[in-house]
Amino acid sequence: MAAERALGRATSRKGERVLGVLAAAALVGSTVLGLIVAPPDAVQGEVQRLMYIHVPAAWLAYLSFAVVFIGSIAYLRTRRTRWDRLAGASAEIGVMFTALAIVLGALWGKPVWGTWWTWDPRLTTTAVLLLIYIGYLAIRRISDNPSRRAQWCAVVGIVGFVDVPIVHLSVVWWRSLHQGPTVLRLGGPEIEGTMLLALIAGVVAFTLVYAYLMTLRLRVGRLEERAAREALSPIVGPAVEAEV
Amino acid sequence: MEANTGYVIAGYVITAATLGGYTWRLFARGRAARRRAEAIAARRRPA
Repeated sequence: MAAERALGRATSRKGERVLGVLAAAALVGSTVLGLIVAPPDAVQGEVQRLMYIHVPAAWLAYLSFAVVFIGSIAYLRTRRTRWDRLAGASAEIGVMFTALAIVLGALWGKPVWGTWWTWDPRLTTTAVLLLIYIGYLAIRRISDNPSRRAQWCAVVGIVGFVDVPIVHLSVVWWRSLHQGPTVLRLGGPEIEGTMLLALIAGVVAFTLVYAYLMTLRLRVGRLEERAAREALSPIVGPAVEAEV
Repeated sequence: MEANTGYVIAGYVITAATLGGYTWRLFARGRAARRRAEAIAARRRPA
């Protein structure tokens, strides 16, 4: 109940505006840090600056799918629609961040590896992750029974999350072209101080953007449900209307 | 300017376009849903 109350406060119109301003300011700050303040990499040069947006996009994909996972479990336990709505909203945003991380990775890969794409374990498992959650979003559109749809989605949201640790650990488990962990590793981060600051600023900015997009997406979801209710009510009658 | 700077610029532009475009799309979806709900409600109201 406390989580639901916190969610309600964050999704109020005032909360939404505050988050929007904070996210925009954080994005500007992290861009300045990443493009101007942080030094170029000794080996890769300027192109390494893509790290300050590629890594946050990938981390936000993980976070988004973790929220889908939590929302799915909560839905199956409580059968409350708001948890299904939360999971659906987070999956949509997660797909956007995953696609963004893949595109930014390709842009980084071309000058450094000499190719836009290779069937490397990290890249392949990330592509699978994208396909899983595109499938999840497809399921959200095919069933016209809301409770059955929410149940299917919750199951996919839980099972699909298994790929997230596989993506993260793929560079440790298999021989990979992709570099290994440089921040979350035993022995502490292996990265220069200003670069680490720019990277953290990027993660914070993208997290605020995620929070802002979630509040917007949840409000849009409620409005679309209201429109669907209005459209259905004269056809199916008040009893079914209440159920929808 | 270093030869690879174009990749960095492209990356930041794509990121801005993706985040901005998705935000704009959410606003447009919200407006469309509100208009749809209001139009249906207005039609059902007795004249």
